Order: sequence, then C-alpha cells, then structure tokens
Amino acid sequence: MSRVLNLILAHQPAAQIQKLLRWWSAYSDPADLLIAYGGTAANFQTLPDVPRVFIDDPRLRVRDLQRDKQSYGGIWRAGAQYLLEPSHLDFTHVYFAEYDHLPLVPDLAARLLQRLQDERADILAHHLRRIEGTNNPFFLYHVADPEFAAFWEGISVRPEKDTVLQMHGSASFWTREAFLRVARQPEEIKVYVEVYLATVAHHLGYRLRNFGDQNEYVRHSAEGVTIELARQHGSWTVHPVKLI
Amino acid sequence: MSKIKMKLLRPLALGLINLLASDIRDVRTGEIIGRALLLPWRGRILFFGTSPDLLPIFRPQTQMVQWRSTLGFTKHPSPDFPHEPRS
Repeated sequence: MSRVLNLILAHQPAAQIQKLLRWWSAYSDPADLLIAYGGTAANFQTLPDVPRVFIDDPRLRVRDLQRDKQSYGGIWRAGAQYLLEPSHLDFTHVYFAEYDHLPLVPDLAARLLQRLQDERADILAHHLRRIEGTNNPFFLYHVADPEFAAFWEGISVRPEKDTVLQMHGSASFWTREAFLRVARQPEEIKVYVEVYLATVAHHLGYRLRNFGDQNEYVRHSAEGVTIELARQHGSWTVHPVKLI
Repeated sequence: MSKIKMKLLRPLALGLINLLASDIRDVRTGEIIGRALLLPWRGRILFFGTSPDLLPIFRPQTQMVQWRSTLGFTKHPSPDFPHEPRS
C-alpha cells in the first residue's frame, strides 16, 4: 500500500499558510502534508497546527538563488528525519512542492504513482534535461569550479561520471528510498538546487524521468500561466501561482 | 540604479542580437533549436543569444575534405538512464 507525503516549502506568514493548507486539503489528506518552513523563526511559531518543520539552513535563504547556489539540502534532511519517525514509516513516496506549485487534481498521488511505475523510475521531475558540455548557463557557471567534476566522480556509481542534469525545482516526485539516500548524501560542494538534486540522484544510481506532458503549465515565469488554462490543458499541477 | 539600467538595456541588447542573429539548426535532425549571433574573437567563438542547452559538435562529412569542416550544434536526448544498482 503506497502513501505519499506532500512536502511543501513555504515562507509566508500564518494567514497565507492557512490559505495554502485549505487549497492542499482539497487534494490531499491533511495528515499527508508537511510544511517545510523557510520563513522567520518568529512567524514559524504562529503557524496553524499542522505537521511542520522549521528549516534552519542558511543555504536556503540566499540573496541570489542562482548565483549564490541555493540549496534544498536542509529541506531534504528535515524531510528525511520526519520520514524516519516511527509514526511515518508508512510513507512510501514524497511529493515535494514549493508553495506556488499547486495541485489541480484530487487524485494527484495516484497519478504520480502510476506515472512513476509506467516510467520504471525512482524520481519524476519537470523539465528534466542533460546539460553537460552545453552552453547552459548553470552548467557553465558550475563547471568553472574545479571541484564540481571531482565531486560527481567521487560519488558516482555510473559508468559516465560527467553527466550533469538539471530539473525545474518547484516540484518533483520521489520514492522514499531515493529521497532518503539523497538526503543522506553530504553536500560537499555548493551546487544550485536545480542541478544538485537531479545530478546527485542520477549519480547515486536512481532513474529520473521527465514529466513530459505535465511540463506545459510548470514554468519559471507566470506569464501565460493561470489555473484555468492549466485545468483546460489537463495539467495535474500548476506553477507559479503566487496568490490563492 | 544599475538594476534599472540593466532592466532597460537588457531587452534592447537582446533585441539587437536577435535582429543580427541567425537560426541554429540541429546538425543531426535539421530542426531549428535556437537563434544566436556567433562572432569569432581571438581564437574563440563568442555566442550571443539566450538559446540554452546547445551542444557544439562538428558536423559529419560525406566527403573527405581536409581544408573545411562545419561546427554546428545539437541537443542531448531526454535523460533515459537505467536504475543503476550500487556496487
């Protein structure tokens, strides 16, 4: 029997978190939600009474997300700790979503599980792509660091140790095993979250697959993205929606 | 102030580059995969444009030609690696 933990990253004050929880509760059992809070410690104390964890990681709260190479390592470690608590051992999968990445279908968990099975994958990611050797600005920025290639070489179980993947960071779906293993991996170098999560999971031997048809309304920019358009398209989720 | 300048200048610069740029075709499929302005400069090629994930590759030649070759671009296929058991 599968059970999906919806791990939601948010940083807003309590009133907005309440709205977010109301939205998610229409699509998930509230017991399957966990708020990873990236806001202030003071605001964290005022949050509604739901499963929540404060992320005390300076690499989450960087000024420039890309240039300062923002990390979600603290979220993964906190999520792993939660999964390992005796009352949470029955969570078999984790769906990670940023606060502005919203579910649109009530059977989201079932669809994710089916897609994962169809793809024989360990992880599903939006806009997943290979970037090594290309003019991708993230690749060029990271590969300038001599420790970048050495890090993958050191941890990889793959025959090709220079593969670099990038995915959209706003949401992804993980098996419990893959999530826990990536959380356990020491972050010995600074790598931007969109490159780090996909590449580390790949080099640890996990199979990642692209969401494909579910990428249309998951974008970096809100231009042309509305909940209505996403629903019409048949999207399971939508990003970014800042106000609900 | 510099941020405002950047916000104003960036679209102008990108517009100019787009005007002077040419489409980039995948050397394998012929499909248009981007648009850029390429300029040789001091033994390198400067690439102006925002088309991402382009992989430079010399184009295969059906004839043996010693004095000319074509440098083009392609893209990686979508990741489809197997689950690799850990050793």
